[in-house]
Amino acid sequence: MDDAVAPASAALTTGPIWKRPVSRRAVLGTAAAGATAAALAVLWKGGELSAILDRARDLTHGYQGALNSERVRVAHLLRRVGFSATPGELDRYLAMGTAGATKTLVDYQQISNAALEAALPAVDPSGGRGVATVGAMQAWWLQRMVQTVRPLEEKMTLFWHGLLTSGLDKAGPAQMFAQNQLFRKMAMSNFDDLLKAVSKDPAMMIYLDTETNRKGKPNENYARELMELFTTGIGHYSEDDVRESARAFTGWTLQGTAQRRLATDSVFVRRLHDDGLKTFMGRTGNLTGDDIVDILVPLRATAERLSARLFSFFAYPNPEPEIVHHLADTFQRNRYNAGAVVREIFAMDAFYSDKAYRALVKSPAELVAQILKATGADAKGYIAAATAMAPMGQLLFYPPNVAGWPGGSSWINSSTLLTRINLANGATQRVRASLPADSLDKLISTLVDGNVSPTTKDGLHAYAAAHAGEQASLLFMVLATPEFQLN
Amino acid sequence: MFSRRDFITQGLLPVFAGSAVPAVFANGVAAAAADSPKATPSDRVLVLVQLAGGNDGLNTVIPFQDGAYHDARPTLRQDQGVLTLNGELGLNPNLKGLKASWDAGQLAIVQGVGYPNPNLSHFASMSVWETASVKGGIGDGWLGRYLNYLDQVGESPNHALEGVSAGSLVPPELRSKTPVTALQSLRTFRLQPVNEHGTQVDVENPLMKFYSAFKSAGPAPFGALLDTTLQEALQASHALQATDATYEAKGSYPSNSPIASSLKLVAEAIVCGLGVRVAHVTLGGFDNHAREKPVHDRLLLDLDQALSAFMQDLQGHGLGDKVLVMTWSEFGRRVKENGSAGTDHGTAAPMFLLGAPVKGGLYGQQPSLNDLDNGNLKFSTDFRSVYASVLQGYLKAPASDLLGGNFEILPLLKA
Repeated sequence: MDDAVAPASAALTTGPIWKRPVSRRAVLGTAAAGATAAALAVLWKGGELSAILDRARDLTHGYQGALNSERVRVAHLLRRVGFSATPGELDRYLAMGTAGATKTLVDYQQISNAALEAALPAVDPSGGRGVATVGAMQAWWLQRMVQTVRPLEEKMTLFWHGLLTSGLDKAGPAQMFAQNQLFRKMAMSNFDDLLKAVSKDPAMMIYLDTETNRKGKPNENYARELMELFTTGIGHYSEDDVRESARAFTGWTLQGTAQRRLATDSVFVRRLHDDGLKTFMGRTGNLTGDDIVDILVPLRATAERLSARLFSFFAYPNPEPEIVHHLADTFQRNRYNAGAVVREIFAMDAFYSDKAYRALVKSPAELVAQILKATGADAKGYIAAATAMAPMGQLLFYPPNVAGWPGGSSWINSSTLLTRINLANGATQRVRASLPADSLDKLISTLVDGNVSPTTKDGLHAYAAAHAGEQASLLFMVLATPEFQLN
Repeated sequence: MFSRRDFITQGLLPVFAGSAVPAVFANGVAAAAADSPKATPSDRVLVLVQLAGGNDGLNTVIPFQDGAYHDARPTLRQDQGVLTLNGELGLNPNLKGLKASWDAGQLAIVQGVGYPNPNLSHFASMSVWETASVKGGIGDGWLGRYLNYLDQVGESPNHALEGVSAGSLVPPELRSKTPVTALQSLRTFRLQPVNEHGTQVDVENPLMKFYSAFKSAGPAPFGALLDTTLQEALQASHALQATDATYEAKGSYPSNSPIASSLKLVAEAIVCGLGVRVAHVTLGGFDNHAREKPVHDRLLLDLDQALSAFMQDLQGHGLGDKVLVMTWSEFGRRVKENGSAGTDHGTAAPMFLLGAPVKGGLYGQQPSLNDLDNGNLKFSTDFRSVYASVLQGYLKAPASDLLGGNFEILPLLKA
C-alpha cells in the first residue's frame, strides 16, 4: 500500500481480513495464490474447495505481474477512472506517482474544466427528438469523455446513467440533458440524496411514469424498479411493498409546460399525494417518496448491491464476498456516500491485482473515447463516432431498457466485434494527415501498456516494415488488437 | 463432417481464410442435407418475435363480450372494430394482417400462457422464458440448447449463421456454446480493408493471428471469447460474401419501422440460403404503465404490418411453408387498468404461432377475469408446453431433453 492512497479509515488496515482490502501480496504470484485459496477456504466455511481453488487460479493468468510497473499501474488507473490517456496525460500523471495521481483524479472538484467547457459546442436540447439534436447531445458527452480533465466525473456520470436509467425513447432531449447534468453534479454524492433527486427528476418521472402517479391512481413502475434495480435487488421486498411505495411516491408532477416531454421542472402538489397510511417493509405511516428512499438506502442489501456494482464497474466482475462486505461497510459508515466507496476501490490492493488487469471489456463508450483520444477528432468526428456506437450496442441516452446495458462479455459478438474494429479503421483513416509519427513501440506502450503477446508484437513489427510510412493503418492495427478490446 | 469446434481447435479455419470459402460455408443447408439421415428437417426455420416489456394480452386478444373486461378497463377497453375470432374473442383492430392469417388457417393462438409462481420483474421473468426454467438465471437459452443439439447430432450446417438475431446483441434464449450471429446488415458484415495509398490492404490474416495468440496469453474468459468471436465473424462474413443469391423483397415492408427492417433482414438471410435455423427479432416498448392505448395500438399496428410483409415476402419466394413465427413476451399486464390509463405488470397472456406450418385455431383456456390472483390472471397453459410442441412437432427435436421435463404437446402444428 506504500504508494497507493490510504484507505478511508486507518483502523481498517488492522481489522480482520474480510474487513480489509485484499492484500496485493496475497493475490500476486502462484505461490501466493495457494495462500489466498487457503485463506478463502477458511472464510468460506463449508464451501466447495474445488470452486475456491478455481477462483484462486483465476488470479494467475498470462499477465501476471504487469501491474508491478508503475507506468502500467497509472495507465490502468486512467482507463478505469476515466477514458484512458494521451501520451502527454499519461506522462503528467505518471510524474505524480500512483498515489498522487489517484488523489488528483478522485479529488477532481478542485480542478477547473474551463478549457473543456470553452471547447464544447453549444447544445440546444429544447424541442423534439430530432436526429440533429440527439446527435449533438451524444457528441457533446463523448467530447467531454475524451477531453475532460476530471475524468472520474464523466465516468461516474456514465455509471449513474447505466444504473438509474432513463432514455430518449420516452423522455425528451432537454430532460435527458438535465438528468445528465444532475448525474455529473451529484456524481460522488450520498446515494439517498441522489435517489431523492432522481425521484423528482423529469426524465425519470417520464421514463418510469411517476408523473402520472396520483392519489387513488397509483402507478407501480418507479416503485418496483427503485427496489429491483436501484437499491436492494430482487428478493428483498414483496409485491405489497411495491403497491404501497407506489402510493408514497404520489404527488410529484411536472410543471412549466403542457407538453410533458418539454417540462424540465417538477413540483409537489399536495392534493395529488396519497396521505393515507401505508405499510412499507413493516413500517406504517403517511409515508412519502423520500421516506421510502430513507428506508431503502440504509438496508444492507442496498449497500452490498451498490458496492458490488461499483466494484464490478471499476475493478473486476463478481467481487469476492469479503470485498463486497468491506465496501458495504464503507458505504454505511460514510453516510451512504457513493464517492467514499469509489475512493476506497481505488485504494484497494485488489484494484491493482492481476485479477483486475484487463478484467473488463471496454464498453463502446470507453472504446470510442479511447480511440478518439488516440486519433483526435473534430466536431463532425465526434458526431460520427457517437452515432456509430449504436451497432456496438451502446447509444448514449438510449439504454436498452430500465436495467441499463448488461455489459461484460455481452459487448462482444461477431457483429459488434467487426463494428469495433471497423470504427477504429474509419477513425484512423480520417485523421491520417495530422498523425504524429510515433514509433510503433510508443504506440504499443501508450495504447496497450507495451504488453501484447509476442505473436502480436512480431506481427505489428512485420506490418510496420511492410507498410512503411502508413502511420494511420499502423495505429489502426494497434487499436484492432485483442488487447485493446479489454480495459 | 467437421464440427465447428474442429475448425477452431484444429486450426483448419485459417486455411480457408480469404476469398476461397469452402462449400460447407457457402451452401450450409445443401451440404448438411446431403449427409446421413436427419431427425430435423434442415430447411425449417423458427423465427421468434419478442414483444419486450410485457405485452398487454387482454388488449391483443380481446374478451370483448366479457363484462369484467369492460369494467376493468374503463379507458383502455377496445369496444370498436374488434376483429372477431368467435363469439367471445377478437383481435385488436390493428391486427388486420393476423386476422387474414387466422382466416386462412395459418394463425394459432395459445391462450393464458404463463408459468407457476409468476415473477413480476421484467428481467427475472424474461430469464424464465429465455432459459425455459422457472428458476431463470444465466444458463443456456432454450434455443441455444437446440443449436447445441444440432451440433451434437452432426446436423449443424457448420457455420455461424444457423442462429441469427437482428440487432447488436445476441439474445439470451439463443445463448449456448454454439455461435449465434447478431446481424445488422448482410452487406456490411465484414472486416473493412485498410486503405493505403489508394490500395486496399486485407487485414484479416494478421488480426486472426493476433486474436489466436491472445487466446492462450490473454485473461481467462476474454481471450477465448475474442478469438472465437473473430473466427465466427469471419466465417459468417465469408459465407455472406460467397453467396451468389440475390434478394429482392416480395413483401411491402413499412419504412421507418425497426421491426420491419429486422424481419426483412431475416427474410433476406433465409432467402439467400445461408442455413438459418433459428432467428430472433425484438419489438420493444410494451411496458405501458401510462397512456397505454395509443402506444399499444401503434405497436400492434407496427407488428402486424411487419409480420404481414414478412409472410408475404416468404410466400413470394416459395418459402412460406418453411417458416414458423412465434411471438412471446415476459408477461401480460394487470387486468384492471391503473390510474395513469396504463397497466402494471401482470402474468398470463396469449402467444401467436404464425405461418403455413401451423394448424390455425385457439388452444388452451382463456383465463377467467373473475378468478384472479392479486389482480392478475391465472395461467392455463405452461409456456414450456408451447416450446415442447414447437421443438417436437416442428423442429423434430427431443423436447423433453432440451426442456428438462415432459410438457404437454399441443397439436399446434401440421405433421
